Amino acid sequence: MKILIADDSRVMRQIVTRTLRQAGYDGHDLIEAEDGAQLVEKANSDKFDLVLSDWNMPNMTGIEALRALRAGGNQTPFGFVTSEGTPEMRDTAAAGGALFLIAKPFTAEMFKEQLDSILG
Amino acid sequence: MSATMAPTGDDLQQIAEQVWASYLDTDGEKPLIPLPPDKLSKDVVAGVAVRGAWHGLVLVACSATASKEAAAALLGMEADEVSEGDVDDALGELANVIGGNVKSLLPEPCTLGLPEVHNDAENDPWLAGDEICRFEATWMGEPMEVSVLEKPQGGETA
Repeated sequence: MKILIADDSRVMRQIVTRTLRQAGYDGHDLIEAEDGAQLVEKANSDKFDLVLSDWNMPNMTGIEALRALRAGGNQTPFGFVTSEGTPEMRDTAAAGGALFLIAKPFTAEMFKEQLDSILG
Repeated sequence: MSATMAPTGDDLQQIAEQVWASYLDTDGEKPLIPLPPDKLSKDVVAGVAVRGAWHGLVLVACSATASKEAAAALLGMEADEVSEGDVDDALGELANVIGGNVKSLLPEPCTLGLPEVHNDAENDPWLAGDEICRFEATWMGEPMEVSVLEKPQGGETA
């Protein structure tokens, strides 16, 4: 499977990668994006099975990127991995078409809970 | 502060301990000890601005040594292998994660800014504000501090 990991922090992209491995999702093709604009560009030029995206990023936020994908007819499964997990953020994410919102700090168990139905 | 909601030092401790357990002390060998260090340090100060119904900053400050150790722990490297860019990225992300969690304790609606890292905390206008709460700890023998500063409404948080 092909997974797009979007976060402006290289450290966090690495932690997400490590957590995917710890959660048992080995052997997938992982591609990185540094902001929402790159996310949209990459998600529209290739076929991904899942997008894992931060919310607050320069150039284009995660929620703007999700809305841009959906407006263009791109229905790639999309979930947020972000430091804000308030009910309001979760509602906004769901309304935009996100499948889930994993709040930082996360654990491998939290990844498994959300991703098993997609990657399991 | 005027709002009825305000984070406390205990809130900061709880959030910081969760972050350490998830990312910096995953094997329990590098615990964040909730005891004030012998000497505080602001060699590296990373922060995120919060704007909206509440204005201010959530800050993480530590010594240069602690900042390198934090980057190494987050990246799974040795402290002498991390670059300055790695340190800025790591500390900025720590401030972002802690800031996002603190924001949930503040009046809504607010937005969270992108992290900034400052290396000269003395006389830095960005770091001016009224401290609401603070959590001081010792990590790997080094000082580590999380604090929340409120700025006047309409004040400059950028």
